[in-house]
Amino acid sequence: MNWDIAKKNFFRQGLRASLNVFVTAFSIIALIFMLSLLNGFQAQATRNVVNTDVGGGHYIAPGFDILSPTEWEDHTVKIPKSLLQLDDKDKAEVLVQQGQLYPNRRLYPVQIRGISMNQSLLKLPLDNLFNFQKQIDDLIPAVIGGKMAKKTHLNKGDILTLKWRDKSGAVDAKDILIVDVGDMLNPRVDDGVVWLRLDHLRSLTDRAEEVSWVAVRNYVGPILGFDYQSVELLMADLLSLWRQDRINSKILWAILMVLVCISVFNTQILNIFKRQKEIGTLMALGMEPKRIVRIFTLEGALAAFWALFVAILLGLPFFIWFHGVGFDVSHLSESTLPIRETIYPDYQPLEIIYSLVIVFVLIVTAAWLPVKKITNMNPTMALRGRAIK
Amino acid sequence: MNNKLISFHEVSKIFKVGEENFTALRDINLEIKTGSFMSFVGPSGSGKTTLLNLIGGLDVPTSGDIFFKDIKLSSLSRNKMAKYRRENIGFIFQTYNLLPVYSVYENILLPLLLNGLKENTVRERVIDMVSKVGLLDQIKKKPSQLSGGQCQRVAIARALVKDPLLILADEPTANLDSKNSLQILELMQKLNQQYKAAVVFSTHDEKVTRYIDREIGLEDGKIIFDK
Repeated sequence: MNWDIAKKNFFRQGLRASLNVFVTAFSIIALIFMLSLLNGFQAQATRNVVNTDVGGGHYIAPGFDILSPTEWEDHTVKIPKSLLQLDDKDKAEVLVQQGQLYPNRRLYPVQIRGISMNQSLLKLPLDNLFNFQKQIDDLIPAVIGGKMAKKTHLNKGDILTLKWRDKSGAVDAKDILIVDVGDMLNPRVDDGVVWLRLDHLRSLTDRAEEVSWVAVRNYVGPILGFDYQSVELLMADLLSLWRQDRINSKILWAILMVLVCISVFNTQILNIFKRQKEIGTLMALGMEPKRIVRIFTLEGALAAFWALFVAILLGLPFFIWFHGVGFDVSHLSESTLPIRETIYPDYQPLEIIYSLVIVFVLIVTAAWLPVKKITNMNPTMALRGRAIK
Repeated sequence: MNNKLISFHEVSKIFKVGEENFTALRDINLEIKTGSFMSFVGPSGSGKTTLLNLIGGLDVPTSGDIFFKDIKLSSLSRNKMAKYRRENIGFIFQTYNLLPVYSVYENILLPLLLNGLKENTVRERVIDMVSKVGLLDQIKKKPSQLSGGQCQRVAIARALVKDPLLILADEPTANLDSKNSLQILELMQKLNQQYKAAVVFSTHDEKVTRYIDREIGLEDGKIIFDK
């Protein structure tokens, strides 16, 4: 009978029940959307760093430290056979040297990165570098990223001087031709980086077969004369940022949950507030307080169930559609975050289930709490509509 | 035969209003017999509604004892008090207090369901009661579709349908015009005679006094006359 009364009460409330359901459903949709967008942002940025720089880890020359540019020349080694025999899709040889660029009569310290042209592990816009046919004696082909191009005011086709030191420490300089300004996605391989062909850089610095590191798809075991740096180590800064971001996202999640709570509590309390007299009447008619609480809690559960149903009904097509169109973040091109293309939400089932369960519990609690309070009071207070103010 | 239904022994009720105490009833001694048709009269704030609430078990006295037959109401637990109301008391409120999402039929049916009866066993009884209050043609309507007089008839039917020993009517005619008030009073008088339920009004409507058998006057929480 409790269920019949609750069902009747809920379905016959019309607009009031519908508003309650819709407000909650929209809050749920907003919550899932925000969380998924944040997940998508992090996943995509991580993917960009992996695809453009980190791969599955680096076999790095001992002592090489990307943060100590003055020592880069001292820490290059010949690539061992075990890595050399890896397929081009499973490795990318990289040689890094310090250099200076002279764009528009200014000096600009740069990281000269030479990368093997046959590799397909890292996704970098270096096709023009690969296709460049002229002899190195004329001009050195180079590619820079969009961010670097903007900072240095360089364009595709510009010729400028690049200075470096060869293996014996002799300073050398030559003109380079910007054969492309590529969209690097990852500022780490864009800002302050000049990309050359590995064979060119090796030739310029007299470092035949030498590398600073070899990016690999998978760890292939310890290699004598090389240190292995895992994805976690190479992305420590970003992962730490993400961890902080996760904390921030948890705070954001909590804020969103609080907003949902307020919205749900507001509608539920308002609903119960308006129905105090009804509760008082039921008490006067002799319904036991526990039964009244049960009926109103069941109504809350029904509201929660319908809110979830409506959220799925309206949210699912929206989420599917949004997963197709994504969210344009090209405005982030100036930031140091490794993302500037469209973000696609990443829906985490467990996170969604947690959120839904919390919202469900919340609605039921919001229905239970005020009725419990009312039924604990004198029925005359409820009849006068003064049990909750 | 002892036909004492309700008895009050030195009952007082004090409300806390802000920082002040307000004495709504002072040392009331009173008896209500089965089948009586009576009213509490007096100005606003004299304690009429408080008396009805105490009789109906909606409120508890600050001091003194109230007995229903031989049962001391203040000794009842919340659930037993609910059972007492469910089985013995029918309430009629000034503002009708009908459940807005229920039809006339469902509003009248509800007290029977609360008493554990099945709808199919009491359907005829409910329809008969609807017919007695003259609302058979409105049986499927919701309270919002009815006039004030019609709503009060539904409230009367709801109070009577479970065949209670006592009906408590708090200002039942206050929101009605003269014509409707008289119709309601005549109906209640008729049903009192038919169902033998004691009916206790609280009112300051002079029309009511023409119908009742006993009138108790209240002022400042004290009984000033009982005639």
